[in-house]
Amino acid sequence: MSKDIKISAKGVDVFYGDTHAIKNVDIEIENKAVTAFIGPSGCGKSTFLRCINRMNDTIDICRVTGDILLEGQDIYAKSVDPVQLRARVGMVFQKPNPFPKSIYDNVAYGPTIHGLAKSKAELDEIVEQSLRRAAIWDEVKDRLHQPGTGLSGGQQQRLCIGRAIATAPEVLLMDEPCSALDPIATAQVEELIDDLRQNYTVVIVTHSMQQAARVSQKTAFFHLGHVVEYGDTNKIFTNPEDSRTESYITGRIG
Amino acid sequence: MMDQEHIASAYDRDLDRVQSLIMRMGGMVETAISDAARALEMRDTELADQVRANDKLIDALEEQIASEVARVIAVRSPTAGDLRTVLSVLKISGNLERMGDYAKNLGKRTSVLSEMPAISGSGGALRRMTQLVNVMLKDALDAYIQRDVELAEDVRQRDADVDQMYNALFREFLTHMMEDPRNITACMHLHFIAKNVERMGDHVTSICEQVIYLVDGELPEDDRLKQDRTSYDISVSKV
Repeated sequence: MSKDIKISAKGVDVFYGDTHAIKNVDIEIENKAVTAFIGPSGCGKSTFLRCINRMNDTIDICRVTGDILLEGQDIYAKSVDPVQLRARVGMVFQKPNPFPKSIYDNVAYGPTIHGLAKSKAELDEIVEQSLRRAAIWDEVKDRLHQPGTGLSGGQQQRLCIGRAIATAPEVLLMDEPCSALDPIATAQVEELIDDLRQNYTVVIVTHSMQQAARVSQKTAFFHLGHVVEYGDTNKIFTNPEDSRTESYITGRIG
Repeated sequence: MMDQEHIASAYDRDLDRVQSLIMRMGGMVETAISDAARALEMRDTELADQVRANDKLIDALEEQIASEVARVIAVRSPTAGDLRTVLSVLKISGNLERMGDYAKNLGKRTSVLSEMPAISGSGGALRRMTQLVNVMLKDALDAYIQRDVELAEDVRQRDADVDQMYNALFREFLTHMMEDPRNITACMHLHFIAKNVERMGDHVTSICEQVIYLVDGELPEDDRLKQDRTSYDISVSKV
């Protein structure tokens, strides 16, 4: 394999009860790159994203078949603890959802429960580094013990990204991370995503075609549970192979 | 291309509009070329002056197309086939504008040439060459609006004929000048005219390449056979 593959999905199907949400998806996600999932509402892109850190386990009627390998290891194997998996594969959601705790505690929570810090000084260091990487340190360093919920929406989302990277994950999943943010905060988060790919593999679900084009190197177009087309973002947005991809990105089908 | 319409119908109207401006501009350039050729042949300085004056309208249309395209890009953020459409519109309008300039230059030289004795035999050859280029332009614009790659490729290959006609004229003018130095001024002007018409052919070729890019998403890879050999012509140094 010429490219460094971080996540490899083979023949993945997802069912919600009788509904067949994901149909035989094969995809290989590159290490330390940003991969965007695009597609109309209900196409399965968020469902598939949530398979990558087993968030779908929390839904009783949801059934996942096929293989999803993280660095060659089957994440659905019996030996894999989903809580440990989610420390390696972090997630940022559509709506910023800081814990009703201080800014410091929001970030310190993950490293504490996973026992990543041996001392208070080490924990302080992790918190600072995480907030720096999330490009919010300068804005919050003087108010670390104030509630995270008191920040602006854009700041809250960057705090959540800081919280997600505090457990030193390898992969960051982002489910429409900017849809509740204004254009300035969106630009800041996009800038951050671009920085993050030096250290992390990022997978982002977005409804903004332009955002996918701006932040990602690879794009997968989902439609009716299938991956219709997957390739270099530049190619997808200038000369896609499949007419359904073209129809979607040019605004001809919803 | 996509036959399907956009969800936002105003987007379709925007794209239709810039493309109809291109067709209008193309029609104006076709007229300018045929009028300029006729003015040259008939020594009609009035018609030549009209071609020169009309070039301002062609230039204005190019500016209008550029600003419409800028607006579409700003408002719609076109992608894929839509993006290629607006990019090709921009390039084709540039090609048409240059062709208009060459027609205008032909008009200018016609005014000068009308004051001089005619050079025998040159009129018919220039007319045939100009007609050939004008048919190529018409076909290139048809290929554009019909997204017809085959026709575009065919027109592209026809440019070799224009190049050969230019080569022949080049030699003919050279002969006239060697025969009688009093022919030099007229032949120099006629040679520039022939060269300009040959350049028009190159711009038509470039339009055809845009048609191919628009449809296939890639420019043609193969180099065309270039038939204009005058740059390497040894007879030039012998004169």
